[in-house]
Amino acid sequence: MGDSMPLLKVDSVSAGYGDSEILRGVSIEVGKSEIVSIIGPNGAGKSTLMKTIFGLLHPRQGSIHFGDTDISRHTPYQIVGLGMCYVPQVANVFTDLTVEENLEMGAFLLKGGNMEERKERIYELFPRLKERRRQRAGKMSGGERQMVAMGSALMLDPTLVMMDEPSAGLSPKMVEMIFERIAHINRDGGPAILIVEQNAQLSLQMAHRGYVLASGENRFEGTGQDLLNDPEVGRLYLGG
Amino acid sequence: MDHAQLARASFIVIPLILLALLIIPGRRAVRLPLAIIAGVVVAFGLGAMMATGNFTYMISFSTMAMIYAILSLGLNSQWGLSGHVNFGVAGFFAVGAFTSALVTTTMPTGALAAYSQQAFGLGQPFLVGVLAAGIVSAIVGYLVSIPVLRLRTDFLAIATLGIAEIIRLIFQNERWLANGPQPLRGIPQPLGCLFDDPACSWLPAPVAAFLQPLGPRDYIFFYFLLVAIILAVIYVALERISRSPWGRVQRAVRDEENSAAMSGKPVTFFRIQSFVVGSFIMGVGGAIYAHYVVSIDYSHFNPLFATFIVWVMLMLGGSGNNKGAILGPFVVWAVWTGTQSVVDLMAPVLSLISPDLPSRSAYFRWMLVAILLAAIVLYRPEGIIRERKRVSDFMKRTGKD
Amino acid sequence: MSMEKSAVSEEDVSSDPSAPKPAARRGLALQNRSTFAGVLVLILVLFWVLGLLKGASAGDLLSMTIWGVMLGGIIALGAIGLTLVYGVLKFPNFAHGAFLTIGAYSAFAIMQMLPQGPALKPFSFGWEMIAAIILALPIVAVVALILDRVLFYPLRKRGASLVLFAMASLAGTFFLRSVIYLIWGSDFHFFYPGRPNPALHLPLGIRVQADQIFVFVLAIVLVGLVYLLLERSRMGKAMRATANNPDLAQVRGINTERVIAWTWVIGGALAAAGGVMYGLASQLRPEMGFFLLLPIFAAAIMGGVGSPIGALVGAIIIGIAQQLSASFLNPAYGPAVAFALMILVLVVQPQGLFGQSGK
Repeated sequence: MGDSMPLLKVDSVSAGYGDSEILRGVSIEVGKSEIVSIIGPNGAGKSTLMKTIFGLLHPRQGSIHFGDTDISRHTPYQIVGLGMCYVPQVANVFTDLTVEENLEMGAFLLKGGNMEERKERIYELFPRLKERRRQRAGKMSGGERQMVAMGSALMLDPTLVMMDEPSAGLSPKMVEMIFERIAHINRDGGPAILIVEQNAQLSLQMAHRGYVLASGENRFEGTGQDLLNDPEVGRLYLGG
Repeated sequence: MDHAQLARASFIVIPLILLALLIIPGRRAVRLPLAIIAGVVVAFGLGAMMATGNFTYMISFSTMAMIYAILSLGLNSQWGLSGHVNFGVAGFFAVGAFTSALVTTTMPTGALAAYSQQAFGLGQPFLVGVLAAGIVSAIVGYLVSIPVLRLRTDFLAIATLGIAEIIRLIFQNERWLANGPQPLRGIPQPLGCLFDDPACSWLPAPVAAFLQPLGPRDYIFFYFLLVAIILAVIYVALERISRSPWGRVQRAVRDEENSAAMSGKPVTFFRIQSFVVGSFIMGVGGAIYAHYVVSIDYSHFNPLFATFIVWVMLMLGGSGNNKGAILGPFVVWAVWTGTQSVVDLMAPVLSLISPDLPSRSAYFRWMLVAILLAAIVLYRPEGIIRERKRVSDFMKRTGKD
Repeated sequence: MSMEKSAVSEEDVSSDPSAPKPAARRGLALQNRSTFAGVLVLILVLFWVLGLLKGASAGDLLSMTIWGVMLGGIIALGAIGLTLVYGVLKFPNFAHGAFLTIGAYSAFAIMQMLPQGPALKPFSFGWEMIAAIILALPIVAVVALILDRVLFYPLRKRGASLVLFAMASLAGTFFLRSVIYLIWGSDFHFFYPGRPNPALHLPLGIRVQADQIFVFVLAIVLVGLVYLLLERSRMGKAMRATANNPDLAQVRGINTERVIAWTWVIGGALAAAGGVMYGLASQLRPEMGFFLLLPIFAAAIMGGVGSPIGALVGAIIIGIAQQLSASFLNPAYGPAVAFALMILVLVVQPQGLFGQSGK
């Protein structure tokens, strides 16, 4: 954990839909430029946690701070304005819009300014997108869509990017490439990254720290390496 | 209470017993005697206390409300049971009304034939007309449902609205069919002879003597009884249906269409069935309306209006609940008729604002019903009476995705 | 809504066991789409033949076709707004017809306040008409915004079902109609009672009024502006994005409530223009918007919900079909013709001519 105050601080948050409570007092922290991975079995509440942080769902209890702002009652577009972006797991591109328009929508809050420059930077990160920038995103492969989704989320130069299962449904080669890009983005004081993954092995290897979430609570936390080596975590969640 | 009033009151005993059965909870052994006592006491109590004019007004009000209740039940068996959004109630209402009119009237002859045309006039009895109305309306519903029920809910709403409009256009423009833009008159009233002098020849002498002080103006009391019985039959049938395995399948199809499909049920077929049942009931409602007002034309079936008020009634009463589908029409019809007098009272004030306004005051009531519907949708979408067992949260989209 | 969409597509798949793979399906859809466009053209040709058989001359039919294009322009002004709202908010707004009526009557009210100038030859109307159109646009836009605030915003907050939105719009249409009846009564009104509006005689025996040409040109200009807005402007792209995936639009930092407000403003303003044009072409009556509602829905669905260009093309086809059908049918059945075409679209090609096939 960093020395100073954390970038994101989720403090004993409970949340859910209707009568069902999915998160039961989850606490996590993400420091500046840190990669934090959250792993856990299906139904542990990983996606719900992301949605709650991002204001798509409001916590019933607990607080969420981003920098020194309490964002537990913020709407998503206010949160984006503060410098947090989110890559959902599914339906994460505008299928009817071109690649270029998708990127522009990522920087919707940016009025005027250096739109072209920012797009160019994303194209450098994902050269494939530049080739296909006039294509409708709906006609692209799963890996390409993931690039569009990540690219859109990076358009505003966020300080924190949240990714929900970026490897879901991709070929091993594509997964490797996506994870390599994530590490690349994060290098040299880049944005902090909070990542939720089924592919626990891979994401813990890359992460600075990790949390294990089960039944809406955090079960374990530690550095990525510690969690990988923890025999109980291994037995329960890493299939080893 | 004089003899005439006693005779009038006797007609409302059975409807009141039926009403009491609907309201009183508990086991049948207790309910039936209680209901009979309540029905008799209230009927003759009302007869004794009310002046003849008010009594007649109350009964004709209730008759109209019950006709709407039949439409509302028909709509409920589509919307409440199966989730079909039928914005074309007026169309089925019109088909039923004109069918029964054509089946029960006779072809105009002589001088009448010059200004009244109709495709046919079978001169059949009332019940044949009602049944035919239901069947023809059900056939129309079936034909409509084949292309339309596969569609998304929103497309179904648009399509049914359009069908009702076209049905109205047909009755408005096709003179040969049912006298086109002119009213179709002379729709017979069943057993109208009860109140003639002398009464129907087959009537036993004591009954004839009992009814003797009543005149044709009291016919409404008999029609009230008739409509109440038909309404009760429809209600009981629908309750049976909705508790039957078939009804459970319908709700399953409504709430979880995909999983019902997966368990091997022919979803489209089930959806068509409930739509046809609802169309049948609306057709019956149309027939009963036609024989009540005796003369009908296309303007009675203004698609937005005849459809819209039935939806307000059902939504207010409580979608998915047959009791609510009966209660709603009474409340809304009371608001509708009641506000007439309020608007009339306001006429002097209105004429101060604009001299044209009093003559347009009827539209205040439209506005009021529109606001009522908006209020229901916004504040109480489940209506006065909730669906008894909420299989799922149908009215609200769940937040989870 | 998105749930329902997917339910439908799943049903499609299950009802057709031989459903090909996604890529092949897309190809098939495109093929179907052009086949379907061909079918629609064939229907119009059939209408011509029917007209000829009923004894109409080719010149008459040509004039009727051109009137149909003009009527299509009016329908398009309604249909584009409807399709935008439908695309972004995902419900059929039955109050859209009332927007046309409100537009026409507010222009009527404005014209009564303005001094009446001479007609701008060859048109039948003067400057006051132009001023009235320009002023009617923001009036209806505001009406649409208010309706959204009062009726639809609370439902959105609650995540209410599609049906409640549709019911609310039905309540809205009745409310607006009652307002029109209360202020202007049920009588017909004319922008210029008794003013002659002679038809121009063009080659090939075509007769059209200059006003009709004005109506059509205005419609095309407005449609073009909407297209540019959607394709080029930031707000327009955000509108398309929100229509495509409202949840993701929020995630990307788009203030979807502002997008929705702009959608209502544009939809309302276009409807106002359509209403004034319709009032100029025929007359003003309280039911005029409802009378146009079926053709408008038919055009929006034929073009593909959410597609303004589709709405324009659909509107022109519907307009021509309605006018041509008058050569062999009672003209009162115009809405029925539009409706029959709509049912055909829904059964054969529910995503319409230009609709996106979805996610």
